[in-house]
This record gives sequence, C-alpha cells and structure tokens, in this order.
Amino acid sequence: MKKIFTIISCGISAFALHAQTNCATAVPVTSGTYNASYSDGSQVPALICTNGIDNDVTMGIWYSYTSATTVNVTVSTDVQGFTPKDTRVHVYNGACGSLTCVAGDDDSGTSYSSIVSFTAQAGVTYYIAFDNNWDDTDFTFQVFETAFTAPLFDTVMYNVTGAYVMCVVDMNGDYLDDIVVPDNNQIKMFYQQTDGTFTETARVAGSTPYMPGWSLAAGDYDGNGFNDLLYGNGNGAALMIANADGTQYTAMQSPQSIFSQRTNFVDLNNDGHLDAFVCHDIAPNCYFLNDGNGGFSWVQGGIGDHPSGGNYGSIWVDYDNDGDADLFIAKCRGGGDPASINELHRNNGDGTFTNVSEQANLADMLQTWSTAWGDFDNDGDMDALVGANSTANGPHKLMRNNGDGTFTDVTDGSGFADLFELNREHIAHDFNNDGWIDVMGGGNYIMFNNGDMTFTKTQANASVGPIGDLNNDGFLDILNFNQMKLNNGNDNNWIKLYLEGTESNRNGIGARVEVYAEGDGWEKQIRDVRSGDGFRYMSSLNTHFGLGTTDAIEQIIIKWPSGIIDVIENPDVNQAITVQEGSTLGTGKFATNLFSTYPNPVKDILYFASDDATEITEAHVYDISGKLISTSAVENNALKVQQLSNGNYLLVLKDSDGKYYSAKFIKK
Amino acid sequence: MKYNYYLKTLLLLTLTVLTACESDDGDKYTEVPDPVSPVVMDLTAVPYNKLSDYKFFEGDLKNLQPSYKVLPYELNSALFTDYAHKKRFVWMPAGSKATYTADGELLNFPSGTALIKNFYYDNVQPGNTTRIIETRLMIKKGSEWIFADYVWNDEQTEAFLDLDGSFTDVSWNENGSPKSAGYRIPSETECLTCHKINNSNGNSGPLAIPIGTKPQNLNRMYAYADGNANQLSRWIQEGYLKDNLPGNITSTVNWQDASQPLELRVRSYIDINCAHCHSEGAHCDYMPMRFAFSETTNPENLGVCVEPFEFINPSISHIVAKGNPARSALYYRLNSVDESYRMPMLGRTIKHDEGIQLIQEWINSLEGPCP
Repeated sequence: MKKIFTIISCGISAFALHAQTNCATAVPVTSGTYNASYSDGSQVPALICTNGIDNDVTMGIWYSYTSATTVNVTVSTDVQGFTPKDTRVHVYNGACGSLTCVAGDDDSGTSYSSIVSFTAQAGVTYYIAFDNNWDDTDFTFQVFETAFTAPLFDTVMYNVTGAYVMCVVDMNGDYLDDIVVPDNNQIKMFYQQTDGTFTETARVAGSTPYMPGWSLAAGDYDGNGFNDLLYGNGNGAALMIANADGTQYTAMQSPQSIFSQRTNFVDLNNDGHLDAFVCHDIAPNCYFLNDGNGGFSWVQGGIGDHPSGGNYGSIWVDYDNDGDADLFIAKCRGGGDPASINELHRNNGDGTFTNVSEQANLADMLQTWSTAWGDFDNDGDMDALVGANSTANGPHKLMRNNGDGTFTDVTDGSGFADLFELNREHIAHDFNNDGWIDVMGGGNYIMFNNGDMTFTKTQANASVGPIGDLNNDGFLDILNFNQMKLNNGNDNNWIKLYLEGTESNRNGIGARVEVYAEGDGWEKQIRDVRSGDGFRYMSSLNTHFGLGTTDAIEQIIIKWPSGIIDVIENPDVNQAITVQEGSTLGTGKFATNLFSTYPNPVKDILYFASDDATEITEAHVYDISGKLISTSAVENNALKVQQLSNGNYLLVLKDSDGKYYSAKFIKK
Repeated sequence: MKYNYYLKTLLLLTLTVLTACESDDGDKYTEVPDPVSPVVMDLTAVPYNKLSDYKFFEGDLKNLQPSYKVLPYELNSALFTDYAHKKRFVWMPAGSKATYTADGELLNFPSGTALIKNFYYDNVQPGNTTRIIETRLMIKKGSEWIFADYVWNDEQTEAFLDLDGSFTDVSWNENGSPKSAGYRIPSETECLTCHKINNSNGNSGPLAIPIGTKPQNLNRMYAYADGNANQLSRWIQEGYLKDNLPGNITSTVNWQDASQPLELRVRSYIDINCAHCHSEGAHCDYMPMRFAFSETTNPENLGVCVEPFEFINPSISHIVAKGNPARSALYYRLNSVDESYRMPMLGRTIKHDEGIQLIQEWINSLEGPCP
C-alpha cells in the first residue's frame, strides 16, 4: 500500500506539480489513492457544501472526476494505512465560474477525516475540492466507485441566510410550501412557484424584540387566507399578522415576560379561531386567546401549570380519538425536579383540560425536548416516540397507544435502542411514502418504519429541519439551513390534502384526516393537522400521506374541529386535493349504491337500507349551511328525526367498518 | 487564604463601630452608644416601590454612597452581563449575622439581609456618561429569599420597582472600543431561573437563592474607605459573619488576573458564569458537565474529552476538545449569540470577548487530541 501510494504521488507530482491549485486546472482522478498538499495562493473553495463551522479558509486543492457510466463515487480521507487528517471536502458540478454543490463532508471519518459519496452521472465532470478549514498538512485520499443507487436526498444549495432559517410553510395562499425567514423588521419570503423555482421577496414586518430564537409556528390567526407567524423568544412571544394580501405583517406581543419554547397555533376553545400557544420554560404555559376580531386576551395557566415550568415541546394530538386536540408536553429539567415529568392533557371539549399523564402511562421523567407522534402501527390511534435529549434519565422510549387512553412501552426490539443519537428535535413523517410513518431525531438518520412497530436506522444525507414539499413532487423534503434536501423519491404513491376551513379555523388545524385503502399491510391511515411539531421548526401545514404500492383510495375522511365531516370518494392518487370544509356535504351519494335512505321526505324516523350485512352505526346531521346539528348512535339502521324542524338537511353516516357516507334528506 | 488575615490591631482601631453583640473570641468590650443604620427594612412591607425607600444610600442616590452598615463587597470573579459594571452591597439587621457552611456553599444569611447589586455602564455614548440601569435586590424574609428589581429613571434620581422585565438600549465604550447591547432587565421568573434551588417538596416550585455570596468568592481583599482588608474578615468585624471560619478557604481567583494559573482562572470563570445551572442537582444537571468550582478539579467535569449529549452541528466533537476550541461545545456556546445555543442562556446577549479568549487559550493549552 505504502509503495503504491508513493508511486502514485510521484506520478502526479511529476506531470502536474501543483496543477490542483484551482478549479480550471483540476487534476483528473479515477479510482485510486492519492496524496494531497496545500500550496499558497491556491483557489479557496468559496462555495461551502457542508454544515458545521466555517473557519478562515486560505487554500484549496482541486481535482476533477468524470465517469463514462453513472456510478456512485466515494471520496475518503480515512484511508487504511494512513493517519487520518482533519480534512473537509466539497463536491461540485457545473462550470468553474459557476459551480453548484453536489455533496460535501467534514467529519464523517475517524479523527475528523472526511467521507463523501455522490452519484456521478455518465459523462458529467465533477470537481472535488478540499480546503484547509481545520488543517493544512498533507493528507491522503481515496476515490472508489460502487454500483449506482440513488441517495435519499439530492442536495440543492439555496441562497438563504439569517439566524432564523426554520420554517417551510405556505405564506401566499397557493398551498405550495414556501421558505420563510424572519428577520428584524421584515420576513424574507421565498415563494415556491409551480415550476419548482422560488421567488424571493422581503415583506415588511413590525418591529419586535421577540425574534424566534427558540421556535416558530405558522397558522392563519385571523382567517384571511394568509398565514400568520408566532415567534417564540426567551423573553416573550410575538404574533406577526399578515395584512389582507399577505404583503405586510403587524406585530402583537405577549404582554408579559415569558421564556418561550415550542409554539403552536391551535383552536383551544373550538370557537373557529386559532389561538396561539406558547410553552413556558420556567413558569406555567401561556396563550394568546383569539378574540375573533384579530386581537387577543392573554392567558397564563390551565394547561401545564407546574410552577417552575419545564415545558419544552408542546404537540397537539388527538390521542383519544374524541375529535378534539389534546396536548402532550415533552418536559425537561434537572435536579430531579418534577417539572421534568412529561404531561398529557386531555381536552375536555369545553376549553378546559385534564392532566391524564399518570393514567395514560406517559408521566415519564425523561429529559425530552420534543416527542414525535404518529400512528406508527396504522391501527387508528396516535403512538409516541418520546425522544431523549440527554440520557441522564433514560433513553428514547416508544409508546404504543392501546386505544383505551393508555400507552405501553414497546421500546424493546423496536430499533430505538440502537438510536444513540440525541436531539432536541424528534419528528414523525412518512419520508419514503410507504404508508408507514418514520421518525427523525439525532444525527443524520431516518428511523424507517418497517410496518410492524420496528424501525430500521438508516443513514441519510440530511438532518432534522423544517419539513415540506419543496419541489411539489409528493415526497417530503427537508430544509437544512441553506441546503434543500430534496427527496429522491421512489415508485410509491402518495396523496396530499390542502384544507380550507370555513366553520373551523382556516387551516383546519385540529382536523383528523383518515385515508382508507387496501394498503401494504394497512387499511387506514390517520393524520392530525397541526401547527408546530418537534422543538423549534415549523413544517408544512399540508397533510401528506404515503400510500406505498396502493393506487386506489376508497375514501378520505376529514373530521373538522367544527364537527363537519367531509368525505372524498375514490380520489386519484399522486395528487393534491383542495378541500373546503363542508364542500362534500350532500354532494356525495351512497358509494356504489350500497345504502339508500327512506322515506324522503321524512317525518319521524329515517331508515337506511343496505344490500349486505353492513350496518350504519353513527349519524351526523347538518343544516344546509353545514352547521352540525347532532351526532347520534344509530341502531337497527334507523334514525329518529322528529325533533328536527322542517327543512333540508345533510347527513354523514358512519358504518361499522369506520367508512363514511353522505346524503341529503328533507324533513317535513 | 486565612481568615485571621484580620488583625487584632485593626479590630481595636475600629472598635467603635462594632455593635454590642457577643464577640466570638470571648472578649468583652465596654458598650458604647451605637450609631444606628438608617436602612429601613420592614419585612412586611418590602419590596418597596422605590429604591430610595430603603435608605441604603446617602446623598444623591446615583452616587451609590452606602449608608452606615451598608457594606460594599466584590467577588473574585464576576458573572458577565453584557459588560455591565456592578457595585454590590450587603446589609443585615442589627444583631444578626451570617454563618459559614462550606467554602463553596452560600453563607447562611439571617432574615432581613439585603444583597444589593447595581448594574451600570461607564462611558455611555454620546456623552461618555455613567448610566445606572438597574439595582437588583435579594431580601431574605424569614427563611426564604425574595427578588426586587429597581429600574433607574433617565434622570438617575430614582429607581422604581419593576419585576416585569424589559429591554433598554445601551451604547458605550469598553476599553476604547465601541459596544452596544439591547440590555435585558430581567423579569422575576428570569431571576429565578438562575437564582434557585430545586424544591424537592413536590410541585411547590423552586426556592430563590443568591449565587455569588460564597466564602470561595468573597475571600479577597477589598479597598474599603478606611483601608484595604480581607472581605470575610471585615464582615466578621462588622458583625455580619460569625467568627468560625476554617483556617483555609479554597477560593476562586479573579479570572482576569494573568498571574494566576490558567486552569484556576478558567475554573473560576466557569463557576461564576455557569455553575448555577450546571452542577449536581441544578437546573441543567441532565447534561454531563459539573461546573461548580468544587467539582472542576476533575477535568471530566469540565467536559474535557466528553462528547456532548446534544447535537449542535457536525463540527462539534466534544464539550472541550483538547487543543481544538472550534470543535468544543463550550467554546461554541460562549461564542454564540443565538439565544437557543448561547451560554449563559440568560444575562448575556453579546459576546464576552475576553472570556472567550480565556477559554480559547485554555483549550489550546490542553495537549490533544482527545482519544
């Protein structure tokens, strides 16, 4: 090895002494081992393709690589037989004057050495540039090729800067996820266009001392069609309210000093107006209670009242499937203080909450800053990955929802015992569209859900960040500061929902969305529409489902916070569907004419007839404006309606399999 | 440092200001009429609405000229708060005194004690004036401490009780270089976040405590109006401290004193800036550091070659990476102004250049790399 290395290095230096000092004269390399030296006056790689710390870089070493066929290429400075050095490497394509990042690595090898892999397209020239960010001594590197496989994400550098690159959400009402960067007195918007490009615009925003140093949430507080923002700051919280056309933002501030952590928009009292909830690090939680006129009353107390706080990661989840959003608080505090015991607060449906942590078996003293919630086993209720940010009080914990308000620890054998990486952030999304919700936490890993409540730790070329669909291809992407991590996707199908609340809040936050299909091991998937998951970032408000190989959806059910239920029959897959609240009421007919209602008009009792044994179990009656009049259990396929006043009504029926149907009837 | 630094001769010279309480060496002195401290401390009425109500200071309030029995003091090393200067005073009711517990433990203060800390800037622009921003009090009522914060008016004639927290912009010259900060006057909950011990008693919340007033930090000389003296000795002499201190007090040093060993300076700096959260039983003891001065004789407690629990970015490999500040979380956090990464988390919005330099110098001095 040593001998080969010497020959190679002599060979290079003989014909191209210091030719590798700049992009234009980059020395071509193929599979093999090379040594490299920095020289004064060499071209500094100006485009940084790595995350981490940038020191003063003064020199660069440049190589080029071209392959006749498409292959995966790895460049490593962690070479057996050589002392690894503290290197950093960037991989570019394009012309020397206008390079773009393909990949980069700083410290993946031992002793801070670098290992980077990328896909080299046939015939395309790539530039491999090392810099002296850490060390300018000589080093050895190796290039080797492996058969082509697509990486999980393509890295696309994007010119976003600032301290608050933490939000991917639609801001101009077109439901395409934008990149949103708060700054002093402005909000920088990068509006996603239908062609996949972004248009940058700075919007004037009111001045606030409460910039989102700890967290950011988005939601349409005043229901005008343009999302507003909620900044969580260590000294207070601020609402940034969009004007009528989303071109300017006005600040409203917490009237009290608070130490904000996670923030969320949620309709706490189900009055159709979003409230703005703020986790308080060191005191009871607070919220802006929306007065329905664009203002608020300030409330502290009632939802997580430990006197010394410890409230880090609030996440709103309907854990008991009763149609309202409950609150789980990921908690953290040292010294054995009970402020560190996680809390689950059941929404009583009347604006009050009951702490049910103990009976639910979620009252762990575990230092977590956020907990990822999703129906990991697709059994119709929300499970939790309690993600540790310190192992002082134990590691990650996977809790299965038993469907009766309690949870069981199923960590053993789930794969989470192998996730040693810790993080403030733990989030749940379906990253490979296989219909099973995955988890991201510490390190560059995705815990891919195997569909049996076990997860496979998989190296990803991305870390946790705000999640959205940055290229509108139906696969979820991640924003890692100035790197868009665009999901390379696969053949799996998907569907997205763009909700527009009318009775309920505009975003449909708090709605439960269900997809029914013959899936790969599942028949039903559920999502809660929420603003704010993980610890600090704000991710898309659109509802995304991976469908695996399934290409036929039987139904999508949207249960709005108002009680209105929309039913979408047999939608096509691989599309985004915009659903206005109540828009499907009365428009649907009994699917495949399985059911009929009679008599119509009806005086006292409405009957449902089916041509098989399926029974109607629940009926929701709405007036013609979509307002929910009643929800009642149905027995013997009969519904009493004599109490209704005369007029036209809309009906949503649920059968014993959990499917929904809608119809109209006339009361006389 | 020995407490008997204080000399019998000094004691005799200042006999007239001693109150008539018992003297621990058993000597009995003739009672002389006591001057009475003008300080007004009605524990049923505090905190008062105005700083002047306490009568801690005589003459123009802004001169901070202490009244009789209001004793100035300093700490070996001080917390960095955006370069604010500080004038500290202690007052105790006549006939009561603090007692020693341990070198690194708070003195056990009597009920009625007031710790008075004035935050001010010199060379404030544009006029190179002095501006007092706030005066923070901790008052011991019975067995528990309370907070009071007095925010000074623009005229510098009075300060008013305000525990709601606020910001004020300050621009000043620090050793010739211009600096500015959106200075944070803390709210009561912010005070409590640092100044607390967790209450093991269920859900009743933490208890407020001072931070600096430990023998290890007070054991230093002070230039009193009537001459230099060791502070602990002076407190004993004033009747503010029971005379039962051990012969040796393991003490912090002034981190700015370049004649002291680098590690000692670093440990002193880290104790006063970080240990209120990062020590056993404290706010953030779920992270591996143990930063109290009594704990940092063990380099592992300082985080040397300890991998951080929390992921910051891929470049950070250890809490302290020997010889490599840029890969050290300690350095990164001191060098950050991002509120979710900077340390200390509260009390600082701008960088402490000299403190960062100290930490950098120390990390560079550790022969690395970490294994």
